[in-house]
Amino acid sequence: MTQENLFHSSGKPAWCPGCGDFGILSSIEDALVNSGKKPHEVLIVSGIGQAAKLPHYINTNGFAGLHGRALPAAFGAKAANHHLQVLVTSGDGDIYGEGGNHFIHAIRRNIDITLIVHNNQIYGLTKRQASPTSDLGMVTKTQPNGVSTIPFNPLAIAITLDAVFVARSFSQEKAFTTQLIEEGIRTPGFSLIDILQPCVSFNTINTYKWYSERVYKLDSSHDPADKLQAYEKSSEWGDKIPIGILYKSARKTFLDDQFKPKDLPLFKRKTRMKEIISLINELY
Amino acid sequence: MSFDLTIMIAGEAGQGLNTLSSILLKMLAQSGYHLFASQDYMSRIRGGHNFTKIRVSNKPLYSSVSASHLLVALNQESVDLHLNHLSSPSIIVHDLDTVQVNKTGEICDIAAPIRKIAVDSGNALYGNSVVLGILTALLKLELTGLTDILKASFVKKAAKDRKGNIKAATEGFRYLSDNFQNLNIPLGRVKEKNRMLISGTESIALGMMAGGLRFISAYPMSPSTGIFTYITSKAGRLGIVSEQAEDEIAACNMAMGASAAGARSAVTTSGGGLSLMCEGISLSGMAEIPLVIINMQRPGPATGFPTRTAQEDLDLVLHIGHGEFPRFIFAPGTAEEAFYTSIKAMNLAEKYQVPVFILGDQHLADSYVTLDRLNANKVKYKSYLAENGALKKPYLRYKITRSGVSPLAHYGQDKIHFIVDSHIHTEDGHISEEMNVAKKMVEKRFRKLNGMKKEFSGPQYYGPKNAKTLFVSWGSTYGAVRETIDCLLAEKKSVAMVHYNKIWPFPVEESIEILKSRKDICVVENNYQGQFERLLQRETNIKTGKPVLRYDGRPFDVQFIIDMFEKRQK
Repeated sequence: MTQENLFHSSGKPAWCPGCGDFGILSSIEDALVNSGKKPHEVLIVSGIGQAAKLPHYINTNGFAGLHGRALPAAFGAKAANHHLQVLVTSGDGDIYGEGGNHFIHAIRRNIDITLIVHNNQIYGLTKRQASPTSDLGMVTKTQPNGVSTIPFNPLAIAITLDAVFVARSFSQEKAFTTQLIEEGIRTPGFSLIDILQPCVSFNTINTYKWYSERVYKLDSSHDPADKLQAYEKSSEWGDKIPIGILYKSARKTFLDDQFKPKDLPLFKRKTRMKEIISLINELY
Repeated sequence: MSFDLTIMIAGEAGQGLNTLSSILLKMLAQSGYHLFASQDYMSRIRGGHNFTKIRVSNKPLYSSVSASHLLVALNQESVDLHLNHLSSPSIIVHDLDTVQVNKTGEICDIAAPIRKIAVDSGNALYGNSVVLGILTALLKLELTGLTDILKASFVKKAAKDRKGNIKAATEGFRYLSDNFQNLNIPLGRVKEKNRMLISGTESIALGMMAGGLRFISAYPMSPSTGIFTYITSKAGRLGIVSEQAEDEIAACNMAMGASAAGARSAVTTSGGGLSLMCEGISLSGMAEIPLVIINMQRPGPATGFPTRTAQEDLDLVLHIGHGEFPRFIFAPGTAEEAFYTSIKAMNLAEKYQVPVFILGDQHLADSYVTLDRLNANKVKYKSYLAENGALKKPYLRYKITRSGVSPLAHYGQDKIHFIVDSHIHTEDGHISEEMNVAKKMVEKRFRKLNGMKKEFSGPQYYGPKNAKTLFVSWGSTYGAVRETIDCLLAEKKSVAMVHYNKIWPFPVEESIEILKSRKDICVVENNYQGQFERLLQRETNIKTGKPVLRYDGRPFDVQFIIDMFEKRQK
């Protein structure tokens, strides 16, 4: 039985025709529908960039904030209302570049959110400059001699920091992506889903064809609980690129000690004036 | 008979100066004295030269004075640095063996065998308890008052140390009583009354909590750290979530995420951290997310003087954040005012959905003062979140209204969802490139100023109505200026003062009313450029006289202001 998709918005995304973002949007919608969530129970936080416009194109709560700052804002919102299902959708430049520091510390903090990175290995909104994940040698106007900076490996870093759920997908693999997002949503703690996504306007190297020829799905021979194996898979790049769940490592989430699932959310708590008055009295 | 005595306790970091001062302060407050204590310390963990000045009187106090009557010198440097700044006569208390005093003028030298008494009581580390015993006898306080506090403060320590410290204090008390029987100390009796002792740090923290704070995120930075740690230490008791962020950028954005989700949120920082929050504050302006920013100033630029005081960030908070948006700025002058202002700040941020700044400084943060009471119910917490039933459907997060304020929903309300956005956006929060949308939204946001101007009282006046010279204070300069007025009035000078706590929106009409017919206006502030003076002139178009400025990292005192004021008259 197909459930009604309340998340689908009638608004027209301002993305280029053929952009990988469309596929990711549709996967997010499906994953939310499959998870049985209602639009008011979900919050999607983003930063700046083409991917970061996604909260405008879906029927649910949104926080379209600042470049690189989606993760801290998502943390604050989750702390204020732990009943919210919080997702972050943003691009490689936003999360890994401008917000690199927050990426590291959000994983350490292990807030229960699902981070979906639209990784197209290029800056789209500012019209073709290298991103932290651009491959070596890519020539752009700001890297005229080709990228010489080692690409950022988000999966290896997430595994190092013991992120609870680390996965990679490819935007064209819609059903597969939906499944991964669903599992990310279900998993308590910080989930990273890095989605390879062609930029049809500016990335002429990492095209649909380029990715399609390289990606392969991890099978049962890969054990996501095995950290070393996960590392190996995270550094596989070039002729063969694995997609699927690379790593899983359950641990306590940031709010576990402060809220039980059924507790009143933080923002609904009353101001404890009696305690404040007793603090004042302690000053005598 | 009135009296006014200043005690200086000086030494190096790591000598237990803070514990010593706080126990003495507690004893004096419990004995009913009015107190004002300020701290001067270096940005280091060990060594360096630090001191606390404790002023004791039978009338309310608002600032420190420069000369001390009693110096407690915990090392030689303390004598060398402060000997020439003591009043005459004065008393110095120090260890007999390790500190020497070359007597000049009328100094009563109490060279006590502090170390020896401590060692005899069980440990050389009990020295400060010996000093406390000596001071208790010297100030004619009750020994039991001291031993009770020591018992309570060492309750978690080993019984041996607790007993040892009490023995050391008792022996110190006895030493002074036996050897300096006839010493006359200008400290009168007061009616026994337990007074509250509070720092600016505590009063701001308590005000924020009484104002409904639910979420705080910060990165530690002097001199704001105390507020963050105080709130964090009470977070469990008060049901507050506190998080130390990876940087101030994160702190600011975390607070906004929490705020957008309905939790009252604040950040604490100082100038350098505030600079990092600049973009986040601009988001608060555009996305209309309530946010309280506590900025405790210290001298800059860059790292400046980490542990000292300044009022250099006024221009920064007036303009921080790219683009244009309304904001509130408050600069409380005393711990008492800071408490009520902080409650209001929490309310106003939510009421108008704007950033609200409290501009304090190291002097306000680290000074202790006695108060009779704080009334937690004087300024009431009031929620401005709209609940589901009160919201019109479809809900528009940025609905254009006459007041400029849109109904404030929070995430998670049944059948309602909305987006907050950093772009120019339509009433429903979605990106727009339309010029009319932009224009209407800018005007909507600025219409809030009509309401904001009416909030909070204007400047406070102190002194005779038609005084010729009007001093102007803002923020923590209030105390020293107020005492300057009292001092000059006693000399029959025609002076009064006006104090600004609410700085933005600037109280233009009220200011013109007060300032227009004055012969001489003298702004007193802790910066080089006269930032407030320039603001005052710009907003009122009234010419002020030469300001009294201080920019060496130290707070004002009466003598400094009077000296500068007299120089200025010539």
